[in-house]
Amino acid sequence: MRWFRFAFLITAAAVLQSSALLGTISLTDMHIKPDLLLILLVYFAINCDSYDAIICSFAIGFAADITGAAIGPHFIGFGVLGAALAHIRKVILLKQTRQQAVTIFVMGILTYTLAAILIKFKIPSAAASMFKIFAVSIYSAILWFLVKWLVRAAGKWLGVGVHRFGIKPEER
Amino acid sequence: MARVRFKPSKLTLFIGLFLFGCVLLLLPQNATSKLNFAFIDIFGFFLNMSSSAAYYYQPPSTSPDFVPRHEYNRLWVVFSNLQAELFEQKKQIEDLGKVRLTEPDPSTGIVLAKVVNRKDNQFIINCGSNSGLKTGQYVLGDNAVIGVVEQASEDISSVRLITSSTCKIPIKISAPQINTYFNGTMQGDDKNGAIIVNIPQKYKIKAGFNVYAAEKAGFLQSPRIIGRISKCVIGEANPVIWDIAVEPVYNLNSITDVAVIVINLTAGG
Repeated sequence: MRWFRFAFLITAAAVLQSSALLGTISLTDMHIKPDLLLILLVYFAINCDSYDAIICSFAIGFAADITGAAIGPHFIGFGVLGAALAHIRKVILLKQTRQQAVTIFVMGILTYTLAAILIKFKIPSAAASMFKIFAVSIYSAILWFLVKWLVRAAGKWLGVGVHRFGIKPEER
Repeated sequence: MARVRFKPSKLTLFIGLFLFGCVLLLLPQNATSKLNFAFIDIFGFFLNMSSSAAYYYQPPSTSPDFVPRHEYNRLWVVFSNLQAELFEQKKQIEDLGKVRLTEPDPSTGIVLAKVVNRKDNQFIINCGSNSGLKTGQYVLGDNAVIGVVEQASEDISSVRLITSSTCKIPIKISAPQINTYFNGTMQGDDKNGAIIVNIPQKYKIKAGFNVYAAEKAGFLQSPRIIGRISKCVIGEANPVIWDIAVEPVYNLNSITDVAVIVINLTAGG
């Protein structure tokens, strides 16, 4: 993993995520838009070795916090569930695009529900809409079919996605 | 001598990062919000690329008989605020006949700010506590109340818009026929409008009535227009109260400059 490139990619994704540019593809008057950081979380958790996946998950969670309202909830939510997905990946390969889209959907619901619970500790007045969490997760899952080529190309640029289905030869 | 590279085990790494996350979560919001504001400060240019505010620019009309919709809205807001002030002053003149006012009014200050970023039902503005901003102050867009200050750091603040369900504002509904106001509380619907809760049906309220932010000691001295009632029907869940929907005066996406009401209590005395 090339960590400087990874930092650049995550920063770019965080800026794009909170920019007005992504608002142009938002749906309904609830401004539902896909979550690029969620897509990256699932991609790195599936394709990195589990050690790197833990670091990636917490780092992406931190980026999600920076773009949000409070620091901490997404760091824990993304970190814990990303690490869990990296562990599950050893049992279930998740190599098909459809399986990955379903994973994005499930991870979206779990991470944002956990983050919504944790954010209450910090900002008691914060309100989370389960419908919005559901809608963002499903939108992100659908977007995966369109951006998977781009994300995989970015992954190769970072040096991930080479040892896909399990551990590296030197770890055996 | 070879340098030993420290590489913790997976479990140690996970537990370490998790505990770090718990520390971040437990740190006070005032301290960690500086990171959020710093992010917006650094990447402000990129965040506002293709901002929706650009779409609302309309060239000035050349006809002397017509004004653009935005200009009409601005004039209507000024008219509504003047009407509310006139009503208040009429009441005050009536009261003056009975009681002499002994305390002078505290002076009201206005701090102008630019919207540097917009999120879901939230604006980030380029003024903070250095300009006298603090949590709870009312924010105006072209003289209409559009939200309240949620957090203020030294030179940047976040504004919770009236369309957010976490923004609850005491309001007055004007009833022009009987020349009075009905009091209530308004909160956002997380879409493009707001709702007024718990108004009993004994109050004769209709669609089209104006909604004003009520006076609040230390924050707002006279009622300010927020919007109009767009829907007023019998409550589905509770038929004793009204289901009231409020349409803000402005499309909040088109606002690029705001004014914050900063009441300086010491200046008046």
